[in-house]
Amino acid sequence: MRLKTFREGEAVLFTLPALIPLLIFWLGPLGYIVYLSFTEWDFMSPEKLFVGLENYTYLLTHADFYQALKVTLMFGLGTVIPIIVGGLALALLMNSKLRSTGIFRAMMFSPWVTPTVAVSIAWSWIFEPEVGLANLALGWFGISPLGWLQDPNWALVAVMIVTIWKSIGWSMVFYLVALRNLPADLMEAASIDGAGAWNKFRGITLPLISPTTLFLSIILTIQSLQAYDQINVMTQGGPAGSTRTLLYMYYQSAFETFNVGEASAIAVIIILICVLLSGLSFLLSRRLVHYS
Amino acid sequence: MNITEARKVEKKRELGRGAGGETTGKFVPLGERLSRIARYILLAVISLALAFPFYWMVTSGLKTNDEIWQFPPTFWPESINWSNYSDAWNSAPFARYMFNSIFVAISICVLQVINASMMAYALTHMKFRLKGAFTGIILVGYMIPSTAVYLPSYMILNELHLLDSYAGLILSNCVSVFAIFLLRQAFLQVSHELVEAGQLDGASHFRILWTIMAPLIRSSFAVMILITFIDQYNNYFWPMLITKDPDLRLVSAGLRSFFVEGGAYGLAWPQIMAASAFTIAPLLILFLFAQKTIMQSVNISAGVNKS
Repeated sequence: MRLKTFREGEAVLFTLPALIPLLIFWLGPLGYIVYLSFTEWDFMSPEKLFVGLENYTYLLTHADFYQALKVTLMFGLGTVIPIIVGGLALALLMNSKLRSTGIFRAMMFSPWVTPTVAVSIAWSWIFEPEVGLANLALGWFGISPLGWLQDPNWALVAVMIVTIWKSIGWSMVFYLVALRNLPADLMEAASIDGAGAWNKFRGITLPLISPTTLFLSIILTIQSLQAYDQINVMTQGGPAGSTRTLLYMYYQSAFETFNVGEASAIAVIIILICVLLSGLSFLLSRRLVHYS
Repeated sequence: MNITEARKVEKKRELGRGAGGETTGKFVPLGERLSRIARYILLAVISLALAFPFYWMVTSGLKTNDEIWQFPPTFWPESINWSNYSDAWNSAPFARYMFNSIFVAISICVLQVINASMMAYALTHMKFRLKGAFTGIILVGYMIPSTAVYLPSYMILNELHLLDSYAGLILSNCVSVFAIFLLRQAFLQVSHELVEAGQLDGASHFRILWTIMAPLIRSSFAVMILITFIDQYNNYFWPMLITKDPDLRLVSAGLRSFFVEGGAYGLAWPQIMAASAFTIAPLLILFLFAQKTIMQSVNISAGVNKS
């Protein structure tokens, strides 16, 4: 018995170097922020005032919050779907019996490696309304120039374009791996049975790569909820709050207006959304996703 | 299974990742050949379009301020002004910023290799009662956005007097749920018999981990280290929050302040583009040399959701 306890002690010892920082910088803060969301504090006053659900009721009765929620939703859908669909399309194109596509794969993947701040700065220049490349390209198609980052109707689209550009090659590589792991004999059998390319894609490929699709949707959704760098560099939430996501609103109320309670309430809502979506996709995965 | 056999399995895993799906040397009918050429051209166009912002960054950094404001823009600079690069480099302490980023990123890599492999080893090859709970904690960690807890983490870091210090930058990032997952995945593939054999020879778990197991999963280590390095070099939001001292800025925060102050919002765009270009250069060079390993991260992280 003593020997067994000793062994268990050794195992726990092995987990400590990771567990301690995990508790201090990760799980501790998680509990702390739930508490903070029931208080009012400005970083300065000596006492944190307990206010119950006031921060939540304040948020839920103010238009700013719903605006941020709407922007978050639009940003999420407008980045996750194109990255997944586009990544799959590129992977299908890449996978179709072509040789030496390595250079293309590397070029498409490279945006994912580079710092978001630096590339967002380059994109700000591309979106410059007077002399920017984006408006030049629109001109080639006879479309009149846009204000992009200065126009409340288009700023979010511009931020989405940068986000999609950054991750589309990454999602393509995921799908390339999934497509290469498809059982060749099954695809051949389907061809012999006379299945067309579209039917083969819908009936075999799509179900067999669904674990990848599920994984990407979860990871990309969490990433979209965390998007900060590109918004901070390109628009800082503006113009007129058109790119202020929940996360950006959280950052502003915490570190610009020093409203700790309200910021914490927003963070808790973001976490709840994450938990809800993860749970939902888990349930969905049992019904729709095919694990071989 | 002995060690050499385990090495073979590991080797097989590596090979399984790389192999492509191209066909070679068969007779190809004309229609098929034409469609191949069309797809090839399409791929080339898309790749060039996706890489174009990098080209634009580098060449805009070579233009004069007059030229950069011309419309329509010139696709190749009229005169090459390398001086923009040296001006930008000298007008802010970019060498310092880059040193900070690389130093912090390497320190974090070292710490994560140690704590993630110990945790992953314990979760896969040691027995203890709380194992299920620990695995659960890490699973939850994978699903919850870390940015959401930046505010309380900031307050805790403040209590620990770690704001505005290298120690704070390094310690607050020294654990990664992703790294633990990745290594756990690798350890699961290694037979437990190796651990038992090691124990029979009287080796401690610590010894087994570092001398028997670690060499077997070195390709996973390589992936983990590269991804961590890239993430940390690129890190912006959190390091910016916890440092006020300009001497402690990482390269992204330094570049951003150069963009806002030095660049004065668009007055010195060539220098801003030059600065962006040399900020991303180390990463593009790293990617050039290690692209296979970096893209392998996808295989491994895709495996994360299967268990």
